[in-house]
Amino acid sequence: MEFVSIVFILAGLFFLIVAAIGVIRLPDVFSRSHAVSLTDSLGAFLMLVGIAFHEGLSKNVLKIIAVLALLYIQNPVIAHATVRAALRAGLKPWQRETS
Amino acid sequence: MTTFFLFVLVVLVILIGAYLYRVLQGPTIFDRVLGLNGISTKAIIVLVLMGTVFERVDMFVDIATGYALLNLMGALAVAKYLEQKGLP
Amino acid sequence: MRPISSQFLVLKTTALFILWVMLSGRFDLFHLGLGVSLSFLVAWINSGHSPFVPRFQIWGKILLYFPWLFTRIVQSSLHLTKLILHPRLPIQPRLIRYESTLQEPPAVVLLGNSITLTPGTITAEVNGQLLLVHAMDEVSGQDVTSRRLESKIADIFGEKAPSP
Repeated sequence: MEFVSIVFILAGLFFLIVAAIGVIRLPDVFSRSHAVSLTDSLGAFLMLVGIAFHEGLSKNVLKIIAVLALLYIQNPVIAHATVRAALRAGLKPWQRETS
Repeated sequence: MTTFFLFVLVVLVILIGAYLYRVLQGPTIFDRVLGLNGISTKAIIVLVLMGTVFERVDMFVDIATGYALLNLMGALAVAKYLEQKGLP
Repeated sequence: MRPISSQFLVLKTTALFILWVMLSGRFDLFHLGLGVSLSFLVAWINSGHSPFVPRFQIWGKILLYFPWLFTRIVQSSLHLTKLILHPRLPIQPRLIRYESTLQEPPAVVLLGNSITLTPGTITAEVNGQLLLVHAMDEVSGQDVTSRRLESKIADIFGEKAPSP
Protein backbone atom coordinates (compact mmCIF):
# COMPACT_ATOMS: atom_id res chain seq x y z
CA MET A 1 0.00 0.00 0.00
CA GLU A 2 2.80 2.41 0.89
CA PHE A 3 4.53 1.59 -2.39
CA VAL A 4 1.40 2.35 -4.43
CA SER A 5 0.95 5.69 -2.69
CA ILE A 6 4.60 6.63 -3.27
CA VAL A 7 4.27 5.83 -6.98
CA PHE A 8 1.11 7.93 -7.30
CA ILE A 9 2.60 10.89 -5.43
CA LEU A 10 5.79 10.84 -7.51
CA ALA A 11 3.77 10.72 -10.76
CA GLY A 12 1.69 13.68 -9.57
CA LEU A 13 4.84 15.55 -8.62
CA PHE A 14 6.21 14.97 -12.12
CA PHE A 15 3.15 16.57 -13.72
CA LEU A 16 3.26 19.49 -11.26
CA ILE A 17 6.91 20.14 -12.17
CA VAL A 18 6.09 20.00 -15.89
CA ALA A 19 3.24 22.48 -15.36
CA ALA A 20 5.53 24.87 -13.48
CA ILE A 21 8.08 24.69 -16.31
CA GLY A 22 5.27 25.38 -18.77
CA VAL A 23 4.04 28.38 -16.79
CA ILE A 24 7.52 29.88 -17.01
CA ARG A 25 8.32 28.91 -20.61
CA LEU A 26 5.12 29.41 -22.59
CA PRO A 27 4.63 32.70 -24.42
CA ASP A 28 1.19 34.13 -23.54
CA VAL A 29 -1.82 33.96 -21.22
CA PHE A 30 -3.81 31.49 -23.28
CA SER A 31 -1.09 28.86 -23.55
CA ARG A 32 -0.11 29.34 -19.90
CA SER A 33 -3.67 28.58 -18.89
CA HIS A 34 -3.26 25.18 -20.57
CA ALA A 35 -0.29 24.49 -18.29
CA VAL A 36 -2.29 25.48 -15.21
CA SER A 37 -5.13 23.18 -16.27
CA LEU A 38 -2.58 20.37 -16.60
CA THR A 39 -1.71 20.94 -12.93
CA ASP A 40 -5.30 20.87 -11.85
CA SER A 41 -6.61 17.93 -13.79
CA LEU A 42 -3.84 15.37 -13.52
CA GLY A 43 -1.24 16.55 -10.98
CA ALA A 44 -3.66 17.25 -8.15
CA PHE A 45 -5.63 14.11 -8.97
CA LEU A 46 -2.60 11.82 -8.73
CA MET A 47 -1.29 13.50 -5.56
CA LEU A 48 -4.61 13.31 -3.73
CA VAL A 49 -5.22 9.70 -4.82
CA GLY A 50 -1.76 8.84 -3.48
CA ILE A 51 -2.59 10.45 -0.13
CA ALA A 52 -5.91 8.57 -0.05
CA PHE A 53 -4.03 5.28 -0.56
CA HIS A 54 -1.74 6.21 2.31
CA GLU A 55 -4.71 6.94 4.58
CA GLY A 56 -6.35 3.59 3.93
CA LEU A 57 -10.08 2.99 4.28
CA SER A 58 -11.55 5.60 6.62
CA LYS A 59 -13.80 8.61 6.51
CA ASN A 60 -10.83 10.77 5.59
CA VAL A 61 -10.87 9.19 2.14
CA LEU A 62 -14.43 10.46 1.63
CA LYS A 63 -13.31 13.96 2.55
CA ILE A 64 -10.36 13.81 0.17
CA ILE A 65 -12.71 12.69 -2.60
CA ALA A 66 -14.96 15.66 -1.77
CA VAL A 67 -12.03 18.06 -2.15
CA LEU A 68 -11.10 16.38 -5.43
CA ALA A 69 -14.65 16.73 -6.79
CA LEU A 70 -14.64 20.38 -5.74
CA LEU A 71 -11.35 20.97 -7.58
CA TYR A 72 -12.69 19.27 -10.71
CA ILE A 73 -15.82 21.41 -10.66
CA GLN A 74 -14.23 24.75 -9.89
CA ASN A 75 -11.05 24.73 -11.93
CA PRO A 76 -12.64 24.71 -15.42
CA VAL A 77 -14.88 27.55 -14.27
CA ILE A 78 -11.93 29.67 -13.11
CA ALA A 79 -9.86 28.93 -16.22
CA HIS A 80 -12.78 29.76 -18.52
CA ALA A 81 -13.54 33.00 -16.65
CA THR A 82 -9.92 34.18 -16.81
CA VAL A 83 -9.48 33.33 -20.48
CA ARG A 84 -12.78 34.91 -21.43
CA ALA A 85 -11.85 38.09 -19.57
CA ALA A 86 -8.49 38.16 -21.36
CA LEU A 87 -10.17 37.68 -24.73
CA ARG A 88 -12.81 40.34 -24.11
CA ALA A 89 -10.20 42.78 -22.85
CA GLY A 90 -8.64 42.60 -26.28
CA LEU A 91 -5.58 40.38 -25.91
CA LYS A 92 -4.63 38.56 -29.09
CA PRO A 93 -3.38 34.95 -28.91
CA TRP A 94 0.31 34.52 -29.60
CA GLN A 95 1.05 32.93 -32.96
CA ARG A 96 4.21 31.56 -34.45
CA GLU A 97 5.53 33.64 -37.31
CA THR A 98 5.18 31.60 -40.49
CA SER A 99 8.39 31.92 -42.40
CA MET B 1 7.25 7.82 5.12
CA THR B 2 7.23 11.14 6.98
CA THR B 3 10.60 11.99 5.45
CA PHE B 4 9.18 11.34 2.00
CA PHE B 5 6.23 13.62 2.69
CA LEU B 6 8.53 16.37 3.93
CA PHE B 7 10.60 16.02 0.75
CA VAL B 8 7.44 16.36 -1.38
CA LEU B 9 6.44 19.42 0.65
CA VAL B 10 9.79 21.10 -0.01
CA VAL B 11 9.49 20.43 -3.76
CA LEU B 12 5.95 21.86 -3.77
CA VAL B 13 7.09 25.04 -2.06
CA ILE B 14 9.84 25.46 -4.67
CA LEU B 15 7.17 25.07 -7.38
CA ILE B 16 5.11 27.78 -5.68
CA GLY B 17 8.21 29.94 -6.12
CA ALA B 18 8.04 29.31 -9.87
CA TYR B 19 4.43 30.48 -9.96
CA LEU B 20 5.36 33.47 -7.82
CA TYR B 21 7.83 34.49 -10.50
CA ARG B 22 4.93 34.60 -12.96
CA VAL B 23 2.79 36.60 -10.52
CA LEU B 24 5.50 39.20 -9.99
CA GLN B 25 6.81 39.29 -13.56
CA GLY B 26 3.75 38.62 -15.72
CA PRO B 27 3.38 41.06 -18.62
CA THR B 28 -0.40 41.41 -18.29
CA ILE B 29 -2.65 41.31 -15.28
CA PHE B 30 -4.26 38.06 -16.45
CA ASP B 31 -0.92 36.30 -16.04
CA ARG B 32 -0.93 37.36 -12.42
CA VAL B 33 -4.47 36.07 -11.87
CA LEU B 34 -3.53 32.78 -13.49
CA GLY B 35 -0.43 32.46 -11.32
CA LEU B 36 -2.49 33.06 -8.18
CA ASN B 37 -4.91 30.35 -9.27
CA GLY B 38 -2.06 27.89 -9.70
CA ILE B 39 -0.64 28.84 -6.29
CA SER B 40 -3.98 28.16 -4.63
CA THR B 41 -4.20 24.68 -6.16
CA LYS B 42 -0.70 23.97 -4.81
CA ALA B 43 -1.72 25.34 -1.43
CA ILE B 44 -4.63 22.90 -1.25
CA ILE B 45 -2.28 19.98 -1.94
CA VAL B 46 0.21 21.32 0.61
CA LEU B 47 -2.52 21.56 3.25
CA VAL B 48 -3.67 17.96 2.73
CA LEU B 49 -0.06 16.74 2.79
CA MET B 50 0.58 18.62 6.04
CA GLY B 51 -2.48 16.90 7.44
CA THR B 52 -0.92 13.51 6.74
CA VAL B 53 2.34 14.63 8.35
CA PHE B 54 0.55 15.83 11.50
CA GLU B 55 -1.91 12.86 11.33
CA ARG B 56 -4.92 15.18 11.47
CA VAL B 57 -6.17 14.82 7.88
CA ASP B 58 -9.83 15.40 8.79
CA MET B 59 -9.14 18.87 10.15
CA PHE B 60 -6.78 19.95 7.39
CA VAL B 61 -9.11 18.76 4.63
CA ASP B 62 -11.81 21.05 6.00
CA ILE B 63 -9.40 23.99 5.86
CA ALA B 64 -8.50 23.02 2.28
CA THR B 65 -12.19 22.96 1.30
CA GLY B 66 -12.75 26.42 2.72
CA TYR B 67 -9.66 27.70 0.95
CA ALA B 68 -10.81 26.25 -2.38
CA LEU B 69 -14.23 27.90 -2.08
CA LEU B 70 -12.68 31.27 -1.18
CA ASN B 71 -10.35 30.96 -4.16
CA LEU B 72 -13.30 30.26 -6.48
CA MET B 73 -15.16 33.37 -5.33
CA GLY B 74 -12.08 35.56 -5.49
CA ALA B 75 -11.02 34.44 -8.97
CA LEU B 76 -14.54 34.86 -10.38
CA ALA B 77 -14.86 38.35 -8.88
CA VAL B 78 -11.49 39.46 -10.27
CA ALA B 79 -12.26 38.01 -13.71
CA LYS B 80 -15.67 39.69 -13.81
CA TYR B 81 -14.18 43.02 -12.76
CA LEU B 82 -11.36 42.92 -15.31
CA GLU B 83 -13.77 41.88 -18.05
CA GLN B 84 -15.83 45.02 -17.60
CA LYS B 85 -12.89 47.32 -17.04
CA GLY B 86 -10.69 46.18 -19.91
CA LEU B 87 -6.94 46.29 -20.02
CA PRO B 88 -5.43 48.83 -17.60
CA MET C 1 -41.57 33.99 -6.68
CA ARG C 2 -42.10 30.60 -8.22
CA PRO C 3 -44.14 28.03 -6.33
CA ILE C 4 -41.86 25.68 -4.46
CA SER C 5 -42.10 22.05 -5.49
CA SER C 6 -41.93 19.90 -2.38
CA GLN C 7 -40.17 17.02 -4.17
CA PHE C 8 -37.34 19.29 -5.23
CA LEU C 9 -37.06 20.67 -1.69
CA VAL C 10 -36.73 17.18 -0.23
CA LEU C 11 -34.04 16.27 -2.80
CA LYS C 12 -32.01 19.36 -2.05
CA THR C 13 -32.29 18.85 1.70
CA THR C 14 -31.10 15.25 1.38
CA ALA C 15 -28.09 16.22 -0.72
CA LEU C 16 -27.06 18.96 1.70
CA PHE C 17 -27.54 16.64 4.68
CA ILE C 18 -25.30 13.98 3.13
CA LEU C 19 -22.64 16.66 2.64
CA TRP C 20 -23.07 17.74 6.29
CA VAL C 21 -22.62 14.21 7.61
CA MET C 22 -19.57 13.71 5.41
CA LEU C 23 -17.92 16.90 6.64
CA SER C 24 -18.83 16.70 10.33
CA GLY C 25 -18.40 12.97 10.90
CA ARG C 26 -20.29 12.91 14.22
CA PHE C 27 -23.43 10.91 14.78
CA ASP C 28 -24.93 12.12 18.09
CA LEU C 29 -28.40 13.60 18.25
CA PHE C 30 -27.35 17.24 18.55
CA HIS C 31 -25.18 17.31 15.41
CA LEU C 32 -27.65 15.33 13.30
CA GLY C 33 -30.56 17.56 14.34
CA LEU C 34 -28.56 20.71 13.64
CA GLY C 35 -27.64 19.29 10.23
CA VAL C 36 -31.25 18.50 9.30
CA SER C 37 -32.55 21.90 10.34
CA LEU C 38 -29.71 23.85 8.72
CA SER C 39 -29.87 21.97 5.41
CA PHE C 40 -33.65 22.40 5.30
CA LEU C 41 -33.24 26.12 5.95
CA VAL C 42 -30.64 26.51 3.20
CA ALA C 43 -32.70 24.49 0.71
CA TRP C 44 -35.84 26.52 1.54
CA ILE C 45 -34.06 29.85 1.09
CA ASN C 46 -32.58 28.74 -2.23
CA SER C 47 -35.63 27.02 -3.70
CA GLY C 48 -37.17 30.12 -5.27
CA HIS C 49 -35.18 30.82 -8.38
CA SER C 50 -33.92 27.65 -9.97
CA PRO C 51 -35.69 26.13 -12.97
CA PHE C 52 -33.41 23.11 -12.71
CA VAL C 53 -35.23 19.77 -12.61
CA PRO C 54 -33.08 16.68 -11.99
CA ARG C 55 -33.46 13.87 -14.50
CA PHE C 56 -32.22 10.69 -12.90
CA GLN C 57 -32.30 8.58 -16.05
CA ILE C 58 -29.24 10.34 -17.50
CA TRP C 59 -27.11 10.23 -14.34
CA GLY C 60 -26.04 6.65 -14.98
CA LYS C 61 -24.87 7.56 -18.47
CA ILE C 62 -22.97 10.54 -17.05
CA LEU C 63 -21.23 8.25 -14.55
CA LEU C 64 -20.18 6.04 -17.47
CA TYR C 65 -18.99 9.13 -19.36
CA PHE C 66 -16.49 10.28 -16.72
CA PRO C 67 -14.04 7.32 -17.03
CA TRP C 68 -13.96 7.82 -20.81
CA LEU C 69 -13.25 11.53 -20.30
CA PHE C 70 -10.50 10.61 -17.88
CA THR C 71 -8.69 8.45 -20.45
CA ARG C 72 -8.86 11.41 -22.86
CA ILE C 73 -7.44 13.68 -20.13
CA VAL C 74 -4.50 11.33 -19.56
CA GLN C 75 -3.75 11.06 -23.28
CA SER C 76 -3.82 14.79 -23.93
CA SER C 77 -1.82 15.44 -20.75
CA LEU C 78 0.95 13.21 -22.03
CA HIS C 79 0.84 15.03 -25.37
CA LEU C 80 1.01 18.43 -23.66
CA THR C 81 3.90 17.23 -21.46
CA LYS C 82 5.79 16.25 -24.59
CA LEU C 83 5.13 19.69 -26.11
CA ILE C 84 6.28 21.59 -23.02
CA LEU C 85 9.46 19.58 -22.44
CA HIS C 86 10.47 19.73 -26.11
CA PRO C 87 13.53 22.03 -26.40
CA ARG C 88 12.20 23.93 -29.43
CA LEU C 89 8.66 24.39 -28.00
CA PRO C 90 6.75 23.28 -31.14
CA ILE C 91 3.38 24.77 -30.22
CA GLN C 92 0.99 26.31 -32.73
CA PRO C 93 -1.80 27.99 -30.76
CA ARG C 94 -5.01 28.62 -32.63
CA LEU C 95 -8.59 29.71 -32.09
CA ILE C 96 -11.24 27.31 -33.38
CA ARG C 97 -14.77 28.51 -34.05
CA TYR C 98 -17.07 25.64 -33.34
CA GLU C 99 -20.80 25.43 -33.93
CA SER C 100 -22.43 22.74 -31.85
CA THR C 101 -25.75 21.10 -32.63
CA LEU C 102 -26.72 20.48 -29.00
CA GLN C 103 -30.07 22.02 -28.12
CA GLU C 104 -30.26 21.96 -24.32
CA PRO C 105 -28.21 24.37 -22.17
CA PRO C 106 -27.04 21.59 -19.75
CA ALA C 107 -25.56 19.68 -22.68
CA VAL C 108 -23.67 22.76 -23.86
CA VAL C 109 -22.42 23.35 -20.29
CA LEU C 110 -21.16 19.77 -20.08
CA LEU C 111 -19.46 20.13 -23.47
CA GLY C 112 -17.72 23.36 -22.47
CA ASN C 113 -16.60 21.94 -19.15
CA SER C 114 -15.23 18.80 -20.78
CA ILE C 115 -13.31 20.86 -23.33
CA THR C 116 -11.81 23.05 -20.61
CA LEU C 117 -10.98 20.10 -18.36
CA THR C 118 -8.97 18.43 -21.12
CA PRO C 119 -5.47 19.93 -21.11
CA GLY C 120 -4.59 21.48 -24.45
CA THR C 121 -8.02 22.87 -25.23
CA ILE C 122 -9.89 25.61 -23.40
CA THR C 123 -13.27 27.19 -24.02
CA ALA C 124 -12.73 30.90 -24.45
CA GLU C 125 -16.23 32.08 -25.25
CA VAL C 126 -19.70 30.54 -25.26
CA ASN C 127 -22.59 32.22 -27.00
CA GLY C 128 -25.64 30.03 -27.37
CA GLN C 129 -24.41 27.18 -29.52
CA LEU C 130 -21.31 28.91 -30.81
CA LEU C 131 -18.11 28.01 -28.96
CA LEU C 132 -14.70 29.62 -29.36
CA VAL C 133 -12.01 27.09 -28.44
CA HIS C 134 -8.34 27.89 -27.93
CA ALA C 135 -6.21 24.85 -28.76
CA MET C 136 -2.50 24.30 -28.24
CA ASP C 137 -1.87 22.62 -31.58
CA GLU C 138 -3.66 20.55 -34.16
CA VAL C 139 -3.41 17.23 -32.31
CA SER C 140 -4.86 18.68 -29.09
CA GLY C 141 -7.79 20.17 -30.92
CA GLN C 142 -8.62 16.97 -32.74
CA ASP C 143 -11.17 15.79 -30.19
CA VAL C 144 -13.15 18.97 -30.69
CA THR C 145 -12.87 19.28 -34.44
CA SER C 146 -13.69 15.63 -35.09
CA ARG C 147 -16.87 16.03 -32.96
CA ARG C 148 -16.15 12.92 -30.87
CA LEU C 149 -16.88 14.71 -27.60
CA GLU C 150 -20.07 16.17 -28.94
CA SER C 151 -21.44 12.87 -30.20
CA LYS C 152 -20.75 11.30 -26.77
CA ILE C 153 -22.65 14.11 -25.02
CA ALA C 154 -25.51 13.97 -27.54
CA ASP C 155 -25.74 10.28 -26.74
CA ILE C 156 -26.03 11.03 -23.01
CA PHE C 157 -28.81 13.57 -23.43
CA GLY C 158 -30.65 11.49 -26.00
CA GLU C 159 -30.30 13.94 -28.84
CA LYS C 160 -29.46 12.93 -32.33
CA ALA C 161 -25.76 12.63 -33.02
CA PRO C 162 -24.11 15.32 -35.15
CA SER C 163 -23.07 14.45 -38.65
CA PRO C 164 -19.27 14.45 -38.89
